[in-house]
Amino acid sequence: MRPDWRSLALGSALALALAAAAQPEIQATRATYDVIGFVDITGSMNARDYSAQGSPQSRLDAIKQRLPAAIGRLPCGSRFGLGVFSERRVFLLFEPMETCRNFGAITGAIHGLDWRMAWEGDSRIANGLERAIEMAEPVGADVVFLTDGHEAPPLRADLPLTFEIEKGKVKGLVVGVGGAELVPIPKYDDFGRESGFFSMRDVPQASHVGPPPDGAEARAGYNARNAPFGDMPEGDEHLTSVKEPYLRQIADATGLGYVRLVEPDALAAAIETNAKPRPIPVPVDLSPLPAALALLALGLLYGAPLAASLRSRRVLQQGVS
Amino acid sequence: MNAIGFDHPLALLLLPLAALPFLASPLRLSAVPSSAVVPEDALSAAIGVALSCLGALAIAALVLGLSGLHRRDQAVERRGAGANVVLLIDRSSSMDSTFANRSPEGKEESKSVAARRLLTDFAARRPADRVAVAAFSTAPMPLVPMTDHHDAVSAAIAAIDRPGLAHTDVGRGLTLAFSMFDDTSSETSRALVLVSDGAAVIDRRVQDALRDAARRDPVRLYWLFLRTQGSKGIYDRPPPGEPDTPQIYPERHLDVFLKSLGLPYRAFEAKSAADVSAAIREIDQLEQRPTAYKETIPQQNLDWIAYLVAAFATALLLGAKLMERRLDEPELARPARTAS
Repeated sequence: MRPDWRSLALGSALALALAAAAQPEIQATRATYDVIGFVDITGSMNARDYSAQGSPQSRLDAIKQRLPAAIGRLPCGSRFGLGVFSERRVFLLFEPMETCRNFGAITGAIHGLDWRMAWEGDSRIANGLERAIEMAEPVGADVVFLTDGHEAPPLRADLPLTFEIEKGKVKGLVVGVGGAELVPIPKYDDFGRESGFFSMRDVPQASHVGPPPDGAEARAGYNARNAPFGDMPEGDEHLTSVKEPYLRQIADATGLGYVRLVEPDALAAAIETNAKPRPIPVPVDLSPLPAALALLALGLLYGAPLAASLRSRRVLQQGVS
Repeated sequence: MNAIGFDHPLALLLLPLAALPFLASPLRLSAVPSSAVVPEDALSAAIGVALSCLGALAIAALVLGLSGLHRRDQAVERRGAGANVVLLIDRSSSMDSTFANRSPEGKEESKSVAARRLLTDFAARRPADRVAVAAFSTAPMPLVPMTDHHDAVSAAIAAIDRPGLAHTDVGRGLTLAFSMFDDTSSETSRALVLVSDGAAVIDRRVQDALRDAARRDPVRLYWLFLRTQGSKGIYDRPPPGEPDTPQIYPERHLDVFLKSLGLPYRAFEAKSAADVSAAIREIDQLEQRPTAYKETIPQQNLDWIAYLVAAFATALLLGAKLMERRLDEPELARPARTAS
């Protein structure tokens, strides 16, 4: 007896369903990323030039809102560590940990960031970035450095900026935080209560670090012993905006990428393009393949007689009319 | 939150295919002059419906499997013996030197490396704990909020041998630590473990805040003091005639202050890694109280069950199909009989 094709279809559906239940899998690799996020917590990060739900949002709050969301979009198996930057160095809060399982803890830690954690008022970003890269290197992680680029005291334009790190060993990116317009920086009293904004005389408008430059004698208020730099000039260092050209320059000098703090999707994509991919083996489930074929077999099994009966009914109706 | 989820919910659009078995049959048609010829038979009707149902079941199960049926990761409330612990760790740069107050050389361990190693063990030994980690130095810093995830805790502990900052502002560190117990941590099982290698004068206002916090959120307090050789200890008293001020004897005065809070309090003075280990073991034994903690059971794929169900239904169908006999088919037994 010739076997019925319908028995064959059923038999193959059975075999395929059993194959799917056996959960065949192959090993593939997936790119994951190890990064340490260093967040600038200096005073200028309290400037409010973002907005959320119609009210002004400080730069630090903008980071708290977007950084966790971006980390949540990294592929599972990626690891994230957190550090803060202030003065001229960085402080590591925790070493990189897996992002999917520990997402709650990572989010909680980022939300716990506060300008009060800062240990000193200066903001020497180039030094901080260098320390951050040194800190990430021993654990093989990359750097995501979130800052507005506002150096305080301002850098001396006549002294060259040098980095003493090996370029390209640690990858990552500098994330520019803040708006393009100059905005005032909130000031806080000893108890952490906001007490207005910094005014021009509150902050150094020029750097007096290092030996005085040539021609300082000609400046107003010059005194060889008491004021070798002359009088403090007027300026707008008490206002702040994101210093993109400068951030691009230091990112370039250290071999990092640069991106403006954008929506979480784009930030996650920027991390993936700039950080070193770390392939980890992941099992890929192949069971959908036999299962789909089994479904096809059953579909044919029931679909073919249905189609045939529909056709014959049509023929019958045509014959009657 | 639903316990059951799908990886590819769009595949569920194929579910209507399960209606097919009610419209068509895998059995072959038999030529019969009229359906009225077939006698009414309840058993046959039931078998017919059952076969359709099996077909529908097989198709539906395959579709469910294809859509990636899984049980979502679930947080299961468990009870165990442990505590809600806030670890408050000194990250001042003096922690980076050895107990003998040298830069570590060769196999020597700095205080922070020893603390890191022993605290990592401590956290790993106690699965029933919920732990938060905070650091203090020049400023207090929350590292990881109260969590059941021990990876997060060990990542924060792992960072304690990274370079620290200059000062030791223990007072504000303690205020931060008091604030890190969340509402879900039951009051009877709260423990605050302070690990530091020194102390500092606590500001009068911070003292008041701490007394207030201690009254509102009573905790059990442990101070693990990593005493460096040659430094003043907790129990060192000034020789007669010398002033006994917190500026000169900050450790002794911190101890006096912590005692005055009216909380269950223990201080451990450790002069070596072995002392630290013994102190941590003791804290481990003392902090065995009933706690509720959450254990996360990771997502479980259920698609294999769906596929097994589909296979089972298909097997029954196949069985029915193989037993099928047509009216015009010669009986199998007949040739055998003629042969005899």
